[in-house]
Amino acid sequence: MISLADIPSRSPVQAYGPVALLALALATAPWWLPAIGLYQYLGVEVAIWMIFALGFNLLFGYAGLHSFGHGAYLGIGAYAFGLFQQNVALSLWGGLGAAILAAGFAGAIVGVFVSHRRGIYYALLTIAFGQVFWFSSMKLYGITGGEDGLLGIPRPPLTFFGLEFDLRSNVALFYLSAIFLLLTVLILWRLVNSPFGRVLQAIRQNETRARFAGYEVWRFKWAAFVISAMFAGLAGGLFSMAQQSAYPDVMSLHQSGLIVMMVLVGGGLVSFWGPVLGVILYFVARDVLGGLTETWLLWYGLMFMAMVMLRPEGVAGMLHLGWKRLRGGEKPAVLAAEKA
Amino acid sequence: MTDILPHLLNGLTLGLLFALIALGFTLIVGVMEVINLAHGSLFALGAYFALTVLGAGWFGDTAFGAWWLSLAIETRYVAALLIGPLLAALAGMALELCLRPTYGKAPLYGLLLTFGAALVIEEIIRLGWGTGEQNLQVPAAINGPILVAGFIYSKYKFFAAGFSLVAIVAVWLFLERTPYGAIIKAGAHDSEMVRALGYDLSKLRLLVFGFGAALAGLAGIIMVPIWGLRPHVGIDVVIPAFLIIVIGGIGSFWGAVVAALLVGLAVGITGAYAGAWATMSMYILLIVVVGFRSRGLFGRKSALEN
Repeated sequence: MISLADIPSRSPVQAYGPVALLALALATAPWWLPAIGLYQYLGVEVAIWMIFALGFNLLFGYAGLHSFGHGAYLGIGAYAFGLFQQNVALSLWGGLGAAILAAGFAGAIVGVFVSHRRGIYYALLTIAFGQVFWFSSMKLYGITGGEDGLLGIPRPPLTFFGLEFDLRSNVALFYLSAIFLLLTVLILWRLVNSPFGRVLQAIRQNETRARFAGYEVWRFKWAAFVISAMFAGLAGGLFSMAQQSAYPDVMSLHQSGLIVMMVLVGGGLVSFWGPVLGVILYFVARDVLGGLTETWLLWYGLMFMAMVMLRPEGVAGMLHLGWKRLRGGEKPAVLAAEKA
Repeated sequence: MTDILPHLLNGLTLGLLFALIALGFTLIVGVMEVINLAHGSLFALGAYFALTVLGAGWFGDTAFGAWWLSLAIETRYVAALLIGPLLAALAGMALELCLRPTYGKAPLYGLLLTFGAALVIEEIIRLGWGTGEQNLQVPAAINGPILVAGFIYSKYKFFAAGFSLVAIVAVWLFLERTPYGAIIKAGAHDSEMVRALGYDLSKLRLLVFGFGAALAGLAGIIMVPIWGLRPHVGIDVVIPAFLIIVIGGIGSFWGAVVAALLVGLAVGITGAYAGAWATMSMYILLIVVVGFRSRGLFGRKSALEN
């Protein structure tokens, strides 16, 4: 595996190019999406999943903590947003705040339990907690509406310094999600290249050594878990607006596994931008492959298996290699691939 | 106190069934240090193969199919019990071949690969057998109600529990009393040494994976008349299986059996008083056990922790 840690800490300048590209793609999406035969709602979905995937990768790729129950925090965010609209007040900011806080709170509690664990036990405990939340959401009928979920969640208007925007159209909601996505990118970029992010990478490389270097490892693991749960909560809040409902399915093991697949296929293990590529690839597979054959999930699954076997560094890793070959003709450094 | 007896009995039978499911899982984890998330899918695959064998699936219209269907259901059931696990074992071996590139890497990759495989197998099942709920026929001798101490039970549950008990003891005897079992256990303990002694490690892994998959398929055939057969039964099953091996301690045979009985009892008793929350009790049990004993009840240090 080439690892994130082989890529040195980078200044914001290096993010300008990709961020500008992403911003341009997002800003123009409502024009080119219909032009290539797709639909506006897809843009909303992709932006939301990118927020989720980027936040998840802080934990998965940077800290090397393999959470397999992350769908739960997406779901908690979605439920919190819906419950806030229905029981407290019709407010966008209030709802999103509630979504982020609720997911962060759940993450904080779970984090206390899992942060002293490592390796496979970490993965298994996160699955168990994910299942607890999923199961609760189905059984706490009075709060969550059982298996049907919360229906008819409104899209409250966006109020910003006295201005008010209507979010009921998918294009408007898309722009809101896109702005949140860009904010997510900027915050996470700053975070992973901060001392905090470097410690996370050190934990990923060798937890024991990081501990002997004097870091209270479990606090960093806990913090990474909480932060990534909060981003999942934000994505969940937006998701419940997009779907206008919140239901247990988003918290299932299936969804939690899906986010792992997306991040890995995209190359989250080696690149900050991996999750973005992975989400795009997944939705392209779903909508393009899904248009051709009903069994697209079979082909996606096979592609995923091949990727894990042959190219675990994902699309981002392949692009990185290809770029290196193109540039100097220099022989690409033997990636530390076989080391890990 | 007498009210709780039937629930205890129920819980114990459930526990034995869980133990049967966890058996193959713990074997594979112990020897190969791979968490096989496709275990549930192999379980489903075994049951679907049995369904085809029993009902003469695609060959029903041929002369052979007609002759086959004219045989007594008992004969066909026994044939299904043999052929289903065998085919599941072949699928498991194919999966083991796919797993080879991940050996020596972080355990995450095995987990990811088998997760992908679970997805793929589920889709294949949807393609091959349809998406609806199906029913696996069982012979009349082991079907129907039975009266025990004034309570009505299903005969099949007793058959299934007894079958599981026999299978558990048989696997234990195989591991403890035969030279093959000794090699497998040695492989779990120190695979380098086993290789140094001249055993073919890759063949050993292939066979162990096949054996684990066969046990999964067998568990599928036994369980499915109780739980119902649908394409995503695999995911429903793999979760209790791994909860059990984590509670019991990864790689520990008796740990898995004890944990399965505990989980069965927890589910049975919770089911009696708060039916809707029965499944939840397993997760709570896991969190409590692993919260206090990070390696489970009987676990040792394992490479999977790195």
